[in-house]
Amino acid sequence: MSRVAWRLQRTETAVVAGILALLAVLLIPTGIQMANAYHSDGLNACRALNIGPSCAARIGEFQSRFQALTVLANWFTLVPGLIGVLLAAPFILDLEHGTYRLAWTQGITRRRWLAGKLGILVLTAVVASGALALLMAWWRSPQADLNGRLDTGVYDTAGIVVVGYAVFALGLALALGALWRRSAASLTVAFVGYFAMRIFVDYWLRNRLVSPLQGSWRGLRQPQFLYHAQIMSESGGSGKGGFKSGGPLGGHAQMAVPGNASHTLFHAVYQPASHFWPLQLSETALFTGIAALLIAFAAWWTHERIA
Amino acid sequence: MSDIAVRTSELGKRYRDGWALRDCTLEIPAGSVTALVGPNGAGKTTLLHLVIGLSRQTSGTVEVLGLSPRSDAKAVLPRLGFVAQDHPLYRALTIAETFTLGRRLNAQWDEGFARERAGRLGLDLDKKVGKLSGGQQAQVALTMALAKRPDVLVLDEPVASLDPLARREFLNGVLEAVVETGMTVILSSHIVSELERVCDHLITLADSRTQLAGSIREIVAGHRLLTGPRSDAASVARIHDVIRETHTERQTTLLVRANGHVYDSCWEQHEVDLEEIVLAYLGYRPGMRDTSPAREAVPS
Amino acid sequence: MIEFHLDARSGVPAYLQLVQQVRQAIRLGILRDGDQLPTVKEVVAMLTINPNTVLHAYRQLDLEGLVEGRRGVGTFVAAGPPTSPPVDDLKALRSSLERWVARARAAGLDDEGIRALFAEAVRPETESRVA
Repeated sequence: MSRVAWRLQRTETAVVAGILALLAVLLIPTGIQMANAYHSDGLNACRALNIGPSCAARIGEFQSRFQALTVLANWFTLVPGLIGVLLAAPFILDLEHGTYRLAWTQGITRRRWLAGKLGILVLTAVVASGALALLMAWWRSPQADLNGRLDTGVYDTAGIVVVGYAVFALGLALALGALWRRSAASLTVAFVGYFAMRIFVDYWLRNRLVSPLQGSWRGLRQPQFLYHAQIMSESGGSGKGGFKSGGPLGGHAQMAVPGNASHTLFHAVYQPASHFWPLQLSETALFTGIAALLIAFAAWWTHERIA
Repeated sequence: MSDIAVRTSELGKRYRDGWALRDCTLEIPAGSVTALVGPNGAGKTTLLHLVIGLSRQTSGTVEVLGLSPRSDAKAVLPRLGFVAQDHPLYRALTIAETFTLGRRLNAQWDEGFARERAGRLGLDLDKKVGKLSGGQQAQVALTMALAKRPDVLVLDEPVASLDPLARREFLNGVLEAVVETGMTVILSSHIVSELERVCDHLITLADSRTQLAGSIREIVAGHRLLTGPRSDAASVARIHDVIRETHTERQTTLLVRANGHVYDSCWEQHEVDLEEIVLAYLGYRPGMRDTSPAREAVPS
Repeated sequence: MIEFHLDARSGVPAYLQLVQQVRQAIRLGILRDGDQLPTVKEVVAMLTINPNTVLHAYRQLDLEGLVEGRRGVGTFVAAGPPTSPPVDDLKALRSSLERWVARARAAGLDDEGIRALFAEAVRPETESRVA
């Protein structure tokens, strides 16, 4: 049964493999380049010490050099959604074109067919997205060293959540496909739904999964993973002053601070580095849990309602 | 019972927008070639899908070879062959790969038969199914069903979209397999004309209900066309079932299902051919007249 | 070897057409004693008809003594040489027929009417053979 399932989805698997190959072609050479630049320029060593002005300058130079690529790579967080949605296509086409009437009237029961087919799909999604995450994690490692793993762009492309995203997108596409039996509509809406869900989680839900901390400190610390920060002068006034805040997870503090940085008081709401795994795991669990429900629904609906 | 291949009792299927099939009670003898006839939308596909286990009934029961096609699917499916409407196939696969699909999904699969049949029909095994003509695709779908060596073959409008030559070749393939294996065949059609030649049993379906069900020979023998001067059908209707009555100014024509011999000498009797009988039934609605009650199976 | 054909519009049941064709073939000498009739499979392939129709026809021919079915082998022609009724009988039949036709014409029947009457009279003959 599984060999049959593979055969029937070979086009879609090839497309997904193609996407990964394309990304690999883009990322591997540039990744090597970045890693070399990072290590050879001694940025690694320099970062371990407190950041001095020359170090900051070199870091700044490194980052602007790979700026374009980094920004582009941030968009790769949509790729797991694309993978999940694409993999659902053969299942939906089977329903849309009526070939299920051939498949379910051979010698195996509908239940066994579904189990085999859906199993293969989930497996493919996990493997593909896992490979993607590993590739991105390797590529991002200089960035992660500099800005931490909670930086947008690292967190949601190079962590285990990527697998959760992919199976969620798959589940959503399968559920819609089972209901509507129209591939174009189902895949499009599923991808949009993935995008919407990501925005919802990124900007609202994530910080409710694992609560951020609040704190104040003096002096410019090692870049924290700031959700929101304010610079307050000792006298109590406040201002934003050149603070670069990144995405929902915050960014690193890249400051142009008025006056002497060591006397400035910072107040921030932030996710510390130690929250990385709790965030990743709870978010993965959320997406995977919803995916499981969606896939179960798709299986149930297909089993009961399609005649 | 071993000599009834398919048995239904008060079988019904309801969808959101109404009943697709109701009160369907029939018996299809093993080894018969049964035609299921009715206009489009009458419920033929619904009935066949219930028989094959693709659908679950809303009411009543259906038994194939003594088993429930839906709950005993694992036992029944290997003994059933099915070609759905428009002979669905995976277009991206080649014929050989389609046969591989059959081989992997069926415990009992005669690959040699499948290949030999394809060869005899002049089909290139390495050609993609999507590139075949309609007639060729129908033949591939039929080969898939036959290679399972089924006991019951179910065909949903198998020749509807085929040209006359392809139709002839397709039906030939079916009948050849019947001679070889004695399998039961149920095929649905909305065209009546060719059925008398190929089939020995008939079921008519109209408005989601069955009207006629029985052997063609008995159906034809049991119906008469009565013609005579313009009059009332009442006296005839007292004994026989009047299926259709038409009047001109001077003449009345009745198509009846005779309950016994027709003695009435006022009427001239003619035999009726199957097509005429079926058409009369398909146009017939219970309650159109205040005479005969609903039709049931012709006693077989 | 006999080749069957079917006239779907003749009103004559299919099996009967086969029976008639075999009878005719024997009469004309196309089929001789000991010749094998086409197998059921061959006839089905030739005409795309229900196998039971062929079986019915062959059974009928067997009943009439024209053919003989041998299990596992096939169906073979078993009729003796074609017999015609004695010449005198034929002559007598012919003249009484001519007298009857004259009477029918005198009664006002045209050719069409005569044929209809004749068909009516002959039909019960074929039907009784079915039973």
